[in-house]
Amino acid sequence: MLACTIVNHRQHVGLQKLSALAGITHSSLGPNKMYKFIRDETSGESALACSCFRLLENLELTCGVGQLVYETVRAHQKVYGAGSGCLLFLAGAWSRAATECLQKGVPVARIISAMSEGMDVCLDVCRKCSVSTESLGAAPAESCAATSQGLGLNLLKKNTAEASQASCHLRGTRQAADKTLNASGRRKIKLSRHFYETEAEDASTATQPPRRKAPDVALVAAGLSHGYVGAMNLVIEASRLQSKNNPQDVSGSTFDVSKVATCVLPGLPEENSCVLQGCVVHVSDEQASVAHHLKEQHLKVALINGDLSDTYRHLGFKRLQAVQCVSDRVHFLSSSKAEEWTEKVLTLLLNLEVNLVVVSGIASEKVIQRCCRLHILVVEKANVSVLKALADATGAVPVTYATQLSNRCVGAGVKVAIWGDLAGRQTKPSTAVSVSTGERDGLVTAVLASCVPSKLQALEDQFWACAYRLHHALTDAVLLPGAGVTEMLCVHHLRERAERRHDAGRSGGGVQQTKAGRAANPYRGLVMNLMAEGLVDYISTVMVNAGGVSKVRARTAVSQRLKNHAENQAKFSQLSFAGEQEDGSLRCSDAPAAQVYDGMSVKQEAWRRALDLVLLVLQTDAEIITGVGPNHDAAEGDMMLL
Amino acid sequence: MVKKRHNPGVEFQKQEQTGISPVMSRLVQKSPSLCTDLPLDNSDICTKLYLLRQLLKSCFGPTGRLKQVHNNIGGHVITTSSSSVLLPAISSSQSFINLIKTSILNHVSRFSDCGLFAAILCLSLIEQAKQSGLSFSVAIKLNKHLLGLCTGYLQQEDCGCKVKLDFCSSHNLITLARSIISSKPACVLTESEALHISKLAVHAFLLTVPCNRPGEVRLGKAVTVSVEGHPVLNSAVFPGLLVDAPDVSGIDESENMRSNPLRVVLFSASLAGDLSELGDGIFDVHPGVDTDLQILDRLLELVKQVVEDEVKLFVCQKVIHPVVQQHLKSRGVIVIERLGNPLMETLTQLTGAQPVATLHTTIPAKAYGEVRDLSIIHFGSRTMLQLHPPGESSICTMILCHRNETMLGELKVAFQKTEHVLRLTLREPSALLGGGCTETHLAAYVRHKSIQEVPETLSALGCSQAELLLGAGGFCRSLESVAAALEHDGGNSLMDLTHAHHWTHPADVMREHLDESLGFCGCGLMEGSPEQRRAYLNTNYPQFSPAPLSRDTAVQPRVLDSFAAKFNALQVAVETANLALDVRYLVQDIN
Repeated sequence: MLACTIVNHRQHVGLQKLSALAGITHSSLGPNKMYKFIRDETSGESALACSCFRLLENLELTCGVGQLVYETVRAHQKVYGAGSGCLLFLAGAWSRAATECLQKGVPVARIISAMSEGMDVCLDVCRKCSVSTESLGAAPAESCAATSQGLGLNLLKKNTAEASQASCHLRGTRQAADKTLNASGRRKIKLSRHFYETEAEDASTATQPPRRKAPDVALVAAGLSHGYVGAMNLVIEASRLQSKNNPQDVSGSTFDVSKVATCVLPGLPEENSCVLQGCVVHVSDEQASVAHHLKEQHLKVALINGDLSDTYRHLGFKRLQAVQCVSDRVHFLSSSKAEEWTEKVLTLLLNLEVNLVVVSGIASEKVIQRCCRLHILVVEKANVSVLKALADATGAVPVTYATQLSNRCVGAGVKVAIWGDLAGRQTKPSTAVSVSTGERDGLVTAVLASCVPSKLQALEDQFWACAYRLHHALTDAVLLPGAGVTEMLCVHHLRERAERRHDAGRSGGGVQQTKAGRAANPYRGLVMNLMAEGLVDYISTVMVNAGGVSKVRARTAVSQRLKNHAENQAKFSQLSFAGEQEDGSLRCSDAPAAQVYDGMSVKQEAWRRALDLVLLVLQTDAEIITGVGPNHDAAEGDMMLL
Repeated sequence: MVKKRHNPGVEFQKQEQTGISPVMSRLVQKSPSLCTDLPLDNSDICTKLYLLRQLLKSCFGPTGRLKQVHNNIGGHVITTSSSSVLLPAISSSQSFINLIKTSILNHVSRFSDCGLFAAILCLSLIEQAKQSGLSFSVAIKLNKHLLGLCTGYLQQEDCGCKVKLDFCSSHNLITLARSIISSKPACVLTESEALHISKLAVHAFLLTVPCNRPGEVRLGKAVTVSVEGHPVLNSAVFPGLLVDAPDVSGIDESENMRSNPLRVVLFSASLAGDLSELGDGIFDVHPGVDTDLQILDRLLELVKQVVEDEVKLFVCQKVIHPVVQQHLKSRGVIVIERLGNPLMETLTQLTGAQPVATLHTTIPAKAYGEVRDLSIIHFGSRTMLQLHPPGESSICTMILCHRNETMLGELKVAFQKTEHVLRLTLREPSALLGGGCTETHLAAYVRHKSIQEVPETLSALGCSQAELLLGAGGFCRSLESVAAALEHDGGNSLMDLTHAHHWTHPADVMREHLDESLGFCGCGLMEGSPEQRRAYLNTNYPQFSPAPLSRDTAVQPRVLDSFAAKFNALQVAVETANLALDVRYLVQDIN
């Protein structure tokens, strides 16, 4: 065993590692993500990574902290599909904050309690400034979607710092106007994450009577696109198709990602990307011709949960390793068993009048060919969720072995269509077919095309990030003002709390607290200010990535805004940044806004996970590496052998 | 670097280089055994003992530091500070270290708690004995004698650091549970979360105690299920047993509820339809014989009997053949497969069924068990079946939630420890003051007693008064150093000179605020006052007889330790230290 002490008390190696790891993801924050090449010097292989998660996935992280980071990010990605960059950035920023505290001699226990309290402050801010998804759908859906797409890439060219200063001069007059117009608390956001030209939202949205209505999916989605307008448009289309099919959910208040699939088509230009009903899968030319034969028919379907081959056995089945055939005669029947099985399955399928077999695993080449001859289409590698949706819609029962099939297991009412027909292009012989039950199953597939094969992964990731964001936003039914507004509010409240507690600690309140067994934390102010600093760093990094402004400029703009907010706090409701306009002119309310929003649960969870990561690493003072022999190179670093 | 997980090319090359040809063989002369004389004088062993002590000391208590345990090739990382996870990961090249480790681990496996206490005390005792200059045989005798003093005192009715547990109120039980939960910082719990889990732990414990059963009482079991990604406050206790049942959509609840109780069959044999249980070897098979089909036929025959016997719930520890599952489901039987070994015993206890271990006989009627009813519970993304026993329930399921895997793992360990410690209170319904107060109190008591030792005992021990004082000093310093190990941020540890409770002064509090910051002692029973006299631990303070506190029922201790666990840990620590001191030679076969 090797024990390696990593704390020199003032120089926490673990926190430094965390901060360094977070550093590599700076460029993947914000709407304009930059691709990164990862190259292996030894093998010459390289990988293209476009998100924080893919980046980490491709790195070989052997140190303890690296493993911990990867595990945390992977767990987050699995549930939320987005927000990993934010998680890792803040973990880095807060680990720097913790390091600074250590350097100033703050005990670990104090850092932990103050940071946890800071997190409570931030989560509380999120709860207070959240916007319900329903309140967004004031304007007609079509026009909104259209405008938001039109505004899509309209990046702000103006210098942000100047703009913000200009706006603060004009604020006085604007505020007076606002007050007269509408005294009730409005929820408006400015400083778009992508620094679009943003216009004030129609003031009437918040004042509408609180009647229950469905959120405008297109509007919500536009706010959550975060720069991936193309991907989000596909998601909106998927959501529209899904809700159209679901009679209980005409309003489209949910978006079921488990019934969404993706299918990549390399070699076609990106404009060919589209969303189709049902499940789209690749097939061979021969299968495509069967599909052509079967199209426009109501088909009978069998679902196989496993492989369609004679050698396949269910999960958990242990094969006998050594079986010898003992016989008094010479048999030449080695292939007969497979043949026998295929014959049996085909007879069964014919008897049951099955035209379509959907397999979750793979099917043996021979079976596919034989089926083709009998005009039975075999579709491989279907998702388990696809299988389930088909089962629910058709009444089919998924079975593990084809021999299990009976009348009861076969479903009816499936249609197949060839992708080329659906997309209206006949130029190229198509190799993708869509399997769908039409109205009932709610399955949709996003077909992602690109001429550059290495970009397909990125496109797929972008699509899923958008899909998950929309899914969680509709599930939460609330959104957070995006584009750094939530973070700035958190910074403001953290600083405020830091001040307040500092005073309380000095005054007589301290004795009371000690009596209660909880000594006042003299470092709360320091720690919270450093935490706020981490968030400021986050906002300004996003600004730098988005608009090409320098880091210094971005920081000035942020601090200017915060100062403005603090000074005018008495006049503002708890929601700030409302009523400011980039150019100061009083826009009419008929121009709908392209607001930027963030998901609530994904953001809260990313923050919490980031802090958990920092706290775990902060409290760790040694790495114990197991399974290292005594002849290992003990000179390495400050390892100690036990 | 681009990650390359599977690179068969490289592996193959390695094999070629290192592979030894099976044909060639040669004789190698055996090297003689290695003998280490007086291992405690060996500098290598001493450094390693010191290192181990520092490592474990830094983990101790609620503000202890964590350790990342992992292998060097990118395996899973465990972040922990609990001895039950840490010690198994430590293996030393020195068998001397492993001796101590094994002894402590044995204690942990029986009592769950106080592993670090035992280890730190043991290592301190060894170091103190070395420093004292006493001959090891005298030190051993003295340690034994002083241990006797401690255990005798702890068992007295009027022991000043013992608290009687009152089962009429859950207050002290919750305090005991919270002390254990909050001593695991890797759980990263807020105060309210720690309290929530402690209350659940006590609740779960109470659910495992049967109340209306005549005759011999058998404790039930609290099963833990961990769910990652949910807030801690969502954790909950359910009576009965929850088993994962991912595919229960087809269950017609109403129909099954009607025939109460439901008959259950429980298989421990695999029903996968394979021959895995025959073991390895070569099988001779006639061509044309399909073994798989034959086994499947046998399975279906078995199922036919089960269905005829009106079994409604079919559980298998291992895999069930899909055809069998289909057959059962089509006849309205609920199927649960892959239950896993850990739950088998609990389910046997709950249903009264006897696990069927073979496919080749008919199932006797007495092997069937019963459940009163079942319901479906959705928790996060998991679907579970809740089974209730036909009679009174003494089995419950605890669902533990936490935000990430690392913290959830530690929380599970902490919860299971708590559960075990609460059970131990039934054997010995008392607890010891926590927060280091028991250690300082015992140290003061031993110091006081050993001064007053009469000549008869001295002659019985075969040592002089001076030797006794030397030995007692080392023993007490060891105890005090355990209390002092609770502080990790450079604070000072003190002891008051009337009741000998443990106090800490944080390093960061200014002199003028000292009186305020004193607050309460480690266990929370005493409140600081300016007239109190205190001494720093491990200094030459005057000996005194620690007075028991006059019991004010309004003041309850805030931190409690398990009596049974600490009592045993104390004995294990001293005896292990004595054993280590007694080792004269280490003989090592290095072949």
